[in-house]
Amino acid sequence: MPIRPIPTLLMVPVALVAGTGYATEYLTVAQAQQAIFPDADQLIDAAVELSDAQRSAIEKQAGVRQRWKKQAVWRAEKAGQLIGWFVVDEVVGKHEFITYAAGLTPDGHVRGIEILVYRETYGHQVRNAEWRQKFAGKTLADPFKLDEDIPNISGATLSSANVTKGVKRLLVLQQVVLNKR
Amino acid sequence: MKNKITVGAVVLGGSLTLSATGFADEGLFGYVKGAEPLPKGSMDVEQWFTVRSDKGQGHYDALDTKTEVEWGITDKFATAVELYGLGINTSGLMIDAYLPKDEKYTWKPAGLEVALKYNFLSPAKDWIGLSQYVAFSYFWEDVNSGQRKDVYSVEGLLLAQKYFMDGQVVLAGNLGIEATSATRKPIDGLPPDFEWPTTPEMEIEVTASAGITYRFAENWFIGGEIFYQTEHETVVGQERWSIQAGPTLHYGGQKWWATLTWLPQIRGGGLMYPGQTDTDLHLIEKTKQEVRLKIGFNF
Repeated sequence: MPIRPIPTLLMVPVALVAGTGYATEYLTVAQAQQAIFPDADQLIDAAVELSDAQRSAIEKQAGVRQRWKKQAVWRAEKAGQLIGWFVVDEVVGKHEFITYAAGLTPDGHVRGIEILVYRETYGHQVRNAEWRQKFAGKTLADPFKLDEDIPNISGATLSSANVTKGVKRLLVLQQVVLNKR
Repeated sequence: MKNKITVGAVVLGGSLTLSATGFADEGLFGYVKGAEPLPKGSMDVEQWFTVRSDKGQGHYDALDTKTEVEWGITDKFATAVELYGLGINTSGLMIDAYLPKDEKYTWKPAGLEVALKYNFLSPAKDWIGLSQYVAFSYFWEDVNSGQRKDVYSVEGLLLAQKYFMDGQVVLAGNLGIEATSATRKPIDGLPPDFEWPTTPEMEIEVTASAGITYRFAENWFIGGEIFYQTEHETVVGQERWSIQAGPTLHYGGQKWWATLTWLPQIRGGGLMYPGQTDTDLHLIEKTKQEVRLKIGFNF
């Protein structure tokens, strides 16, 4: 019996779908904490739940959407003193979310960033230390723009743009929420 | 019993499409092209299947296939080569100069194309993404009739793309023009009063299309596309115009992706064949229904 092309074509994508399952976890949260705050003697869970007003304030100042109502935050301390904030965030990649972490100093500098999970076809260079090092020391006075102060990663422009904007948003979140705690 | 075009036999074949040709990045849409470039040193292989059916009278099914390999030469420039194929089953409808006779074959190679794409602005970095696309093609089979026809074309397209919601929503639009020189090959045994000119004809085709898609779940996009096309040629002037529109579904994995689009003709005009009852469609060089499946593999 001849194959009927339209039903056949409709079956193909259904058969091909087998879930995602290819995400690579490069670092756990604990490993990323150790990498960014090796000098901390404790990291205290300080997760925040943002009010609508706080989300609006962050979006207005950062210029990007504060997608998450809850943000995973840890307070890094050494000898009982605050040495910074460790924040885990997710931003949109081309297909899936990119999970990364940023360390922020109490005076609003980026201490470092780590990519925890990256799921995209191209652009694994976001994990390279050379690219991540570009964020170290940045403050809200910096542009946070690709090909200006942060290099673009070819084939992953959307991912690198969203991580860049995400780090800036976390600095704003620190200013709006964390510094007032 | 109606015989349908078999799909399995043409899996390795090339493809001939009625629409502007595809250029391989990740095809979020079935017909609209995005402006994103392929990164330097990477490669993309795509296989397309397009089913066209129903001219309103008689029986008409056609399967266009395309096998495409694209290379990222630089971060802004990519090139592709494409092999097209055609399967057809048409009977019970003859149209002067367009459908000379019943024809049926499963699949045969139909054409070749070389395409170039240059990216000016990146949709993720700049306020809008913008690329220029140029393609040179030679077809030896007529996609409409399945008969021998030498068709030389050069096509230029401007591709625009914009992200919204951090890239969860993608809007894309294309505007293009294609110039064609086409010469039908003689066919023996046609009725003496049947029109089948074998002198070269020149055609100009203008295409405008747009699509929007939304990532509703990880890896999955759903959206819609609209495709306008008009063709002018020597002798007849505006030969046809048509608007096709419909939904599109895309799955994007790490190493492969797939897009399924249903793009029926919504409205059309220009020439009609004698006795055509669907007077709000163009059914000489177009069909009522069109479905496309694209599968891409990234390297």
